[in-house]
Amino acid sequence: MSSLSATIQDVFNEPGCGKNAGKSEAERKKGCTKQLQPGGAAGGCAFDGAKVALQPLTDVAHLVHGPIACEGNSWDNRGARSSGSDLWRTGFTTDINETDVVFGGEKRLFKSIKEIIEKYDPPAVFVYQTCVPAMTGDDINAVCKAASQKFNKPVIPVNSPGFVGPKNLGNKLAGEALLEHVIGTEEPDFTTPYDINIIGEYNLVGELWQVKPLLDELGIRILSCISGDGRYREVAYSHRARAAMMVCSKAMINVARQMEERYGIPFFEGSFYGIEDTSDSLREIARLLIERGAPDELMDRTEALIAREEARAWAAIEPYKPRFAGKKVLLITGGVKSWSVVAALQEAGLELVGTSVKKSTKEDKERIKELMGQDAHLIEDMTPREMYKMLKDARADIMLSGGKSQFVALKAAMPWLDINQERNHAYMGYVGMVKLVEEIDKSLYNPMWEQLRRPAPWDEAGNSWQAKATAQNDAEAAVLAADPVRAETTRRARKICFCKSVDLGTIEDAIAAHGLTTVDSVRERTNASGGCQACTGRITDILAARPRPAAPPPLLDAAE
Amino acid sequence: MTQSADNVLDHFELFRGPEYQEMLANKKQMFENPRDPAEVERIREWAKTPEYREKNFAREALTVNPAKACQPLGAVFAAVGFEGTMPFVHGSQGCVAYYRSHLSRHFKEPSSCVSSSMTEDAAVFGGLNNMIDGLANTYAMYKPKMIAVSTTCMAEVIGDDLNAFIKTSKEKGSVPAEYDVPFAHTPAFVGSHVTGYDNALKGIIEHFWDGKAGTAPKLERQPNGKINFIGGFDGYTVGNTREIKRIFDLMGVEYTVLADNSDVFDTPTDGEFRMYDGGTTLEDAANAIHAKATISMQQYCTEKTLALIQGHGQEVVAFNHPVGVSATDDFLMAVSRITGKEIPEALARERGRLVDAIGDSSAHIHGKKFAIYGDPDLCYGLAAFLLELGAEPTHVLATNGTKPWEEKMKALFASSPFGKNCQVYPGKDLWHMRSLLFTEPVDFLIGNTYGKYLERDTGTPLIRIGFPIFDRHHKHRYPVWGYQGSLNVLVTILDKIFDEIDRNTNVPSKTDYSFDIIR
Repeated sequence: MSSLSATIQDVFNEPGCGKNAGKSEAERKKGCTKQLQPGGAAGGCAFDGAKVALQPLTDVAHLVHGPIACEGNSWDNRGARSSGSDLWRTGFTTDINETDVVFGGEKRLFKSIKEIIEKYDPPAVFVYQTCVPAMTGDDINAVCKAASQKFNKPVIPVNSPGFVGPKNLGNKLAGEALLEHVIGTEEPDFTTPYDINIIGEYNLVGELWQVKPLLDELGIRILSCISGDGRYREVAYSHRARAAMMVCSKAMINVARQMEERYGIPFFEGSFYGIEDTSDSLREIARLLIERGAPDELMDRTEALIAREEARAWAAIEPYKPRFAGKKVLLITGGVKSWSVVAALQEAGLELVGTSVKKSTKEDKERIKELMGQDAHLIEDMTPREMYKMLKDARADIMLSGGKSQFVALKAAMPWLDINQERNHAYMGYVGMVKLVEEIDKSLYNPMWEQLRRPAPWDEAGNSWQAKATAQNDAEAAVLAADPVRAETTRRARKICFCKSVDLGTIEDAIAAHGLTTVDSVRERTNASGGCQACTGRITDILAARPRPAAPPPLLDAAE
Repeated sequence: MTQSADNVLDHFELFRGPEYQEMLANKKQMFENPRDPAEVERIREWAKTPEYREKNFAREALTVNPAKACQPLGAVFAAVGFEGTMPFVHGSQGCVAYYRSHLSRHFKEPSSCVSSSMTEDAAVFGGLNNMIDGLANTYAMYKPKMIAVSTTCMAEVIGDDLNAFIKTSKEKGSVPAEYDVPFAHTPAFVGSHVTGYDNALKGIIEHFWDGKAGTAPKLERQPNGKINFIGGFDGYTVGNTREIKRIFDLMGVEYTVLADNSDVFDTPTDGEFRMYDGGTTLEDAANAIHAKATISMQQYCTEKTLALIQGHGQEVVAFNHPVGVSATDDFLMAVSRITGKEIPEALARERGRLVDAIGDSSAHIHGKKFAIYGDPDLCYGLAAFLLELGAEPTHVLATNGTKPWEEKMKALFASSPFGKNCQVYPGKDLWHMRSLLFTEPVDFLIGNTYGKYLERDTGTPLIRIGFPIFDRHHKHRYPVWGYQGSLNVLVTILDKIFDEIDRNTNVPSKTDYSFDIIR
C-alpha cells in the first residue's frame, strides 16, 4: 500500500497526460497541482474531485470520514442517474466531533463501517478521507483493511483529503483508489469479444442511456462504466474488457492508461457530443474491438448504424436551420468540451463567434482551430462588460457555458444555455444533439432576454448600466487609440501569470534582454509559470511571436 | 368498528371503514338505481372528446360552474374599505350570509355586514319598513360611522327606490339627517361582483362629492398634488394595498387609497374584536375630489367609478391588474409622471431583482402552456406576465368577461409570438374550461379554489391564484403587485412546476433516477 504522497507523485508522473509529458523533471515533481492564490476564489478540493468521480457508482455506500462540512456539502449534488440502486444517494458520514479530533476518529470510522454493513449490506463501502482526520492522523487505510477482513467485504479507502490539491487531482486519486483496490479483484460471469469499458463518463442526466441503445444494437457490451450508473462488481471485473473509451475528460486518464499497461486494454479518447464525434467514437470502438479479435463484420454493422442515425439526426435538425440562420454563438466552457461542442453547433448551422480556451490545452486549441479555421476566435478570458459589448454589437446571440458563468451571462443579459453538469437535459449522442438544438432554439427565442436587456423605463438614455459599460469601453478604446504610449503601457500590463503576478511587459523585457527561447528560461528570469503553469501556453505563444514589433492588443481585440 | 369515544376518527378515516363502505355500496345498489358501470365509464370518456366539446360550447341557457360571484359581494367588499362603515344590504338576509361566509372563508377573518331581512310580505308590499327598521337597528346596535347600502335581487325586482327609502328613513328618525348613508343598486342579475364593486364605490364617492343626495352642497374641486388609488375587487387586497402604500411612501407620493380594506380583512388577535378597522376616512373620501388624478389597478372593476371621477376634472388612469416587469414599469411610470416623483433607487433595485429572478428560472416556464380563468383584469395581468416569460396562456376564460375585454385580450395575444395560439373565452364557465382542458391540454391551470375539481378531473395541475382561495391559507397576505408581488407570482408558478417534476419522478427504483436535489 503506497503512501498518499507517493500516490500523488505517481499521478504527477502519469505519462498518459499530455501536459505532464511536456514538462521537465523539476516541473513534474512540482506536479500539476495548481498552487492556489491565497485570497482568490478557487474551485473544488481534492476530496470533492474524488467524491464526484466515484459517487456515480450506484450500489456502493459512500462514507465520508470527516466533520459534517464535507458530506453535508457534497451529498447528492450531481445529476448522475442510476438504473438501479439509490444507495449512492444516501448520505453517509462519520460526522466527527471534538472528541474525535482530540482522541482520534478511527474507532468511530470502524463502527460506522460496521453499521453500514449491518444495515445496508452493500457490495462495498468506499471511505473518503477528509482534511481533519488526515491532519489528526487517522489511518483510514488501516481501518479499511481491518474492516475489510473483519466483515469480509471490500472496504475501499479513497485517500484524497481536500488540502492535497485541486478537484482534478482528486479525480485522479479516485482513479488510483480503483486501480489499487478494486479493478481486477473479481471475474465476470462470462466475456465476449464485444466487451468495452467507458472511463470518465458519469451518466449525468442519464446521458449514457442515450448512447447505450446504439451499443446494444451493435451487440457491444459496456462491461464497466467508470463510474456513471456503475456497479461495484462491474468495476472489479473491468480488467476483462477488450477495449476502452476514455470519454473526453482528462480526469481519469491514469485509469485508462494503467489498465492498458496492466491488462493490455487499448483505449482511445473520444466524445459522444456532436453527431460526427459520436460517429467517430462508434467507429473507433468497433476498430479497437476488431483489432482485439472481434469479427470484421462489426465495422459494416457500425457503419450502417451510423448512416441511419446520422440521417435521422440531420433530418430532425433540419427544420431548425432557417431559425438559426445568421445566429451567432459564444461558447464559454472548460477544456476539451470546447472543440467537441464547436463541431456540434456548426452542424446545427450556427455561427461560432468565439470560444473560451482558458482551460484548454494546446492540443485542444489546435483542434478548435481545425474546426473553426485558423482565425478562430479564442478567448482567454472575458468580463461581463465585454460579453455585453459582443452582444450589443450583435456579434453574439447566445452564450453556451457551464453553470459557473451562468450568472455572468445573466447579469450581462445574454441568452444562455447550460452545457455543464447541473443542466437538466442530456446532450449526448445523436438524440442529445437534437435536444441541444431544440434547447438552443428555445433559449434564443425566449422573450425574457429582451426584458432583461431593456433598461428600466425611468433610466435616462445613456444612464443605464448597459450604456455606461459601452461608454466606458468606448472611452478606454478612444484614449488608447489617441495615446500610443498609454496603449503600449496597457498592452504590457496584461497579466500573463496569475499565480506569480507577472505581466506581459516583464516577460517581453526578459526575453529581449536575455534572448530567452524556452518557457523554463522565462520562468528562471521572471518567475512566470512558477505556479499552476496554466500560463505556459501563453508564454509559448509570446515566445513564438518574437520578434514582433508590436503584439496585438489584448483580450477582445485578439478575439476579433 | 363504528365511531368510538376512545378513538374518535375524523371524516378522512371514518367512512373508509368496512361497515360504512358496505352501507354505501348497499345504498347505491338498492336505492340509487345505479347505471351499468361500463356505461358510466363510456360516457365519462365521451365527455372528454371534441364531439362533446362541440355540444358543450353550443350550450345556450345553462351555466355550469360559473367563475364569478354576484354584485352585492363586490359592494360589501368595497364598503368595508371605509372607516367604521357597516355594509347594509337591502334585501333578503340569506344572500348576506353568503357574502359574509365567502369573504370569511377567503380571508379567514370575521366579516361584518347586515341586511334589511326582507321577507315575503316585504316582497309584496315593498321593503320600506325593512329599510326604516334596519337602518335604525344597525345605527343603534353597531354604531357605525357610515352605513353603505346596496341591494340584493329581491329588492331590485320589486323596484325599491333606495334614494327615496333612505330619505324617508331619515325623516322617520332611523338615523340623523346628516348621517352618511351612501347607496348603490346592485342587482345580481346584471354583471358580477366586479360590477358591484364599481357601483358601490361610485355610490360612496358620489355621495361625498355631489352633495350627499341633495342634503349638502356639492364639493368644489380645489386641485392639489395628491393621487387617489383604487385597487378594485382583489383577493390579495391585504398584501397588495400594503405593498402599494410602501411603494408610494418610497417614492414620496401623497395619496389616498379609496376603499382600503387591507386592515379590516387582517385584524390582529389581541383580545379586542374589531368590527371595523382601518379604512379610508370619510374625510379623505370627500377630499379625494381635490386629487390630481386617480389610478385604478383594475379597469373592469372601476369603469363607472372612473367615469364619475373623470367628470369631476381629474385625470384617470386604469391598469389591468399589472403583474411582471413591463406592467409594473408602466404603473410606476404613470405614478411618476402624474406626481413628478422620481423612481427611487430602492425600487430600481427591486426591479433588477425581479429581472434577475426571471433570468434564473425562466427556462422552466418558457414554452409551457397555461389555462387561466378568473376576473377579467386578473386574467389580463397574468396572461401578460406569462407572455413576458415566454409561456403561452393558451386558454383565458372569464365568465364575467365582456366584449371589450375580449378585444383587449386579443390585442395582447397579437403583441407576442407566444400569443399566436392563444384563445380568449368571455362569458364561458368552468364546464367549458373542462372541455378545453381535455381537448386542448395545457401544462398548468391558473385559477381559484374551484379549479381543484378541474385539476382532479383533467389531471391539469392547478396553480391557485385568484378569488376565492378557500382551501389554502394566508395567500392574501402576500402581494401580487409591484416588483415584489410579481416575484411572489413567479415563485407560486415555479413551486408548482417543480412539485410536478418531483411528483413525476418519485417512484422508487422506477422514475426516481431524476428525483433530484438540485433543480
